[in-house]
Amino acid sequence: MTPPGEAIPSARPGWRAIWRARPARVSASLWAVVILLDRLPWPWGEGILARIYLLKAIFRGTRLRRALRWAGAQTESPIARWRLAVKLCSYYGRFVARLLLVGFRGPDHFGSQVVVNGEEHLAAARGHGVILLGFHLGPPGAALALRATGHELTWARGWGDSQSGSGEGWRRFHQEGEMLSLSQSSTSLGGVLYEARRVLLDGGVIYITADGGRGRRAFKISAPGAPMIIRSGWLALCRHTKATVLPVLTHLDGNRQVVTIHPPLPPIDGDPARAVERCRAALGQVIAPYLREHPEQCYSLVFGRREKKKRSKDKRRPPSARPRPGTPAERALEPPPDRSP
Amino acid sequence: MSDDGVLERVQAIVAGIAGADRTPAVVGPDTPLGEDGFWLDSVDMLEVLLACEREFSTSFPANLAGAALATVRSLAEAVRAR
Repeated sequence: MTPPGEAIPSARPGWRAIWRARPARVSASLWAVVILLDRLPWPWGEGILARIYLLKAIFRGTRLRRALRWAGAQTESPIARWRLAVKLCSYYGRFVARLLLVGFRGPDHFGSQVVVNGEEHLAAARGHGVILLGFHLGPPGAALALRATGHELTWARGWGDSQSGSGEGWRRFHQEGEMLSLSQSSTSLGGVLYEARRVLLDGGVIYITADGGRGRRAFKISAPGAPMIIRSGWLALCRHTKATVLPVLTHLDGNRQVVTIHPPLPPIDGDPARAVERCRAALGQVIAPYLREHPEQCYSLVFGRREKKKRSKDKRRPPSARPRPGTPAERALEPPPDRSP
Repeated sequence: MSDDGVLERVQAIVAGIAGADRTPAVVGPDTPLGEDGFWLDSVDMLEVLLACEREFSTSFPANLAGAALATVRSLAEAVRAR
């Protein structure tokens, strides 16, 4: 493991190339800060970004109020509530740093800070199509962490660019195809699912997130403060491929990223409603301890804003298009209708 | 009707998956599959692609571009290209 503060030499592209590599959803000001922080030895930049985000939350107020509201649902003590809210805001900054790989010089450096638990579940399931089911909890890039520690997988990213290593090591990592991103050539989530299905039928491993801002709702998992919305894409993949589903959670333990692969979910077969209910119960048992042990790392439950956007989009839908028969979970699993023309 | 009927068959597949409640009153080759059209979501899109696979005994390329899933016409063109 690389000790914190130790600089790792790395060949870097020029400033212009780095500036042009700015991911679309990263603001120019944040990218400028990230470029500068990336020059510092790891994890100094991450620590600085955590403080910047905390200060931003304090001065802007909205984020801090949301954090306090959510923290109030986790603890009754006012001091503990404030402490949790402050941690949430600074962890958010750390996660932005992790998303943009601030300070990491390459896959080997990144992988040296990762600990993977539960690898035996993945080893046992390999060969027949495996869905590694991630969540927007803890540091982003669990797929990258797994790949950097030698686990072959395909990352079913739906949109955007969630990592942006600018060093030579990262570029080589992508060019050699060691880390596949389905969204690089497909802007449609439907296309992503289609390609993911093929990978699974070929016996591959897909990493896909269960929760997120887009996609059909499958069900909710109760959580104090805010429920977790689980989407349907992975359920549809599971139904079409009979792949094994292994929930994956990740958290920061100090500076280390711990990735935990959990035992498989119940198979999606038989009565769809019951199968989904079994999955919901099993996922609830996986998620609940995480929420208790790492509430400061549950940024998506606190700061997630995408549902609001979706509601406003729904208003544009014709009323006849909004209600659909059955629960969302049932629709996710219902067999395709007969479409003989 | 198009020469090979692909457009009409693709449109029938899309309308079948969207269902009567989401299919717009006026439907044409340029009706979007997603927003402001059939309102298909990602799971529906997957179902459409799989139905097209079965209907036309074909498969789509691994790097299927999002543009191919824009409208009935673009999807029909993707089918024809196979």
